[in-house]
Amino acid sequence: MMIRTDTRTMTIAILILTLCLPVTAWAGWLWGEDEPDPMVQVVEPFVVWRTGPAVGYPVFHSSEKGEWLTLLQRKTGWMKVRDGKSREGWVAVAAIAQTRDATGEFVDLNVPNLEAFRERNVEAGIMMGEFEGAPVTSGYGGYWFTPNLAAELWGSQVLGSASEILMVNANIVHQPFPHWRVSPFFTLGVGHIWVDPKTTLAQPEERENSIGHAGLGLRVYITDRYFIRAEFKDYKVFTSRSTNEEATEWKIGLSIFF
Amino acid sequence: MENRTKYLFLTGFCLAQVMAFAPQVFAAEKAERDDRPLIEPDVTPVPVDEALIDTENFEIGAFVGIMNIEDFESSLVYGGKLTYHLSESFFFEAGIGFAEGGQTSFENLAGNVQVLTDSERDYRYYNINLGYNVLPGQAFLTENYAFNTNFYLIAGAGATDFAGDTRFTLNAGAGYQILLTDSLAIHLGVRQHFYRIDVVGAEKTSMNTEISSGLSVFF
Repeated sequence: MMIRTDTRTMTIAILILTLCLPVTAWAGWLWGEDEPDPMVQVVEPFVVWRTGPAVGYPVFHSSEKGEWLTLLQRKTGWMKVRDGKSREGWVAVAAIAQTRDATGEFVDLNVPNLEAFRERNVEAGIMMGEFEGAPVTSGYGGYWFTPNLAAELWGSQVLGSASEILMVNANIVHQPFPHWRVSPFFTLGVGHIWVDPKTTLAQPEERENSIGHAGLGLRVYITDRYFIRAEFKDYKVFTSRSTNEEATEWKIGLSIFF
Repeated sequence: MENRTKYLFLTGFCLAQVMAFAPQVFAAEKAERDDRPLIEPDVTPVPVDEALIDTENFEIGAFVGIMNIEDFESSLVYGGKLTYHLSESFFFEAGIGFAEGGQTSFENLAGNVQVLTDSERDYRYYNINLGYNVLPGQAFLTENYAFNTNFYLIAGAGATDFAGDTRFTLNAGAGYQILLTDSLAIHLGVRQHFYRIDVVGAEKTSMNTEISSGLSVFF
């Protein structure tokens, strides 16, 4: 009973802590920032303002050629701006990229596109699928050393009817055609697996093994900074018995890149 | 007449003089002129640095609500969510939630029977979801206040730790987000959680409805 109360207290404490995290984000707003907000000048005939950061929000204002806009914050593909009369609204980042800054140059903004996808350094994603017939949920992060070669770290949870499996994997990825929008790849890696059989089984016995795996898959760039990733992996579970076990897995998911 | 001739001659002479000396005079003036302003401005134009613009694609929040756990009454549910906005339409959401299962009808009727121990009644879940903002819009409180809103659909998978086991859980639902400011939002949501369970008789799909409201901050 005591232990239960403790875990409950701890979860509440963690929740409160996570709630406090955004305070760091407010700090600048509370105490003011030293850097002046960056400003840009409209050079197109006009840019339209929306009430919120999406095309679904209504257009309520527009700035003419020659007006200066202060850039306040960015949300996905939208920039919150303020004009000389202290009006505030949202302008598409693509439109801001058409404006000039104080140096007279076009504003250097990161507009994610296929070109950025080809030159990505970091990617991360969430995938779901089946591991030996049981549902698997995975998350991963990867770093590209060259346009062809990357290293990845994975965490997976498999929840079968007979057991719960946790897996941690590391693998290298090779993609032969990095410039393709639909790009195939191969993986090779090692990891560790923890198998926890369900308590309802006759002889529950926890075990853990090293694993090795090879796979192939496909990345498909969609738009903005995200792409779909699908892959198939073949696992070898190295057991202490005379034969090793084998397992197959397929997954599909959505990833982002930076 | 004499005057006129004199005038023409003199004008011609003067002009010739001016033309002969002028280039040297102007050249001398050019060399001596100092183009620098009297007070040197401190500010040099700086290009816009994207890194200085605050990017708010993450959202963190807490929620509280009621969860109906099939066969085990309804319970208070609370938890947290971390959201990453991929674009104006799509977002990833990772959530955790805590609730507690009550008594089954069987336990209530039979009296001194326990289907689950106390610790087995602790209900915990996590999930990873993909959301889609279908209806962005505005809500008007008075004629002076308008709040941006989003109606979103969301679905995903994860695990539920309940009744002595961890079960693969699918969830789907919808939510309404009201942005009080561009960085602070209220959420109202309904979520259905599905998993297979065999604690009370044959294995079946357990359907658990969660209704919650929450507060979140963008960073």
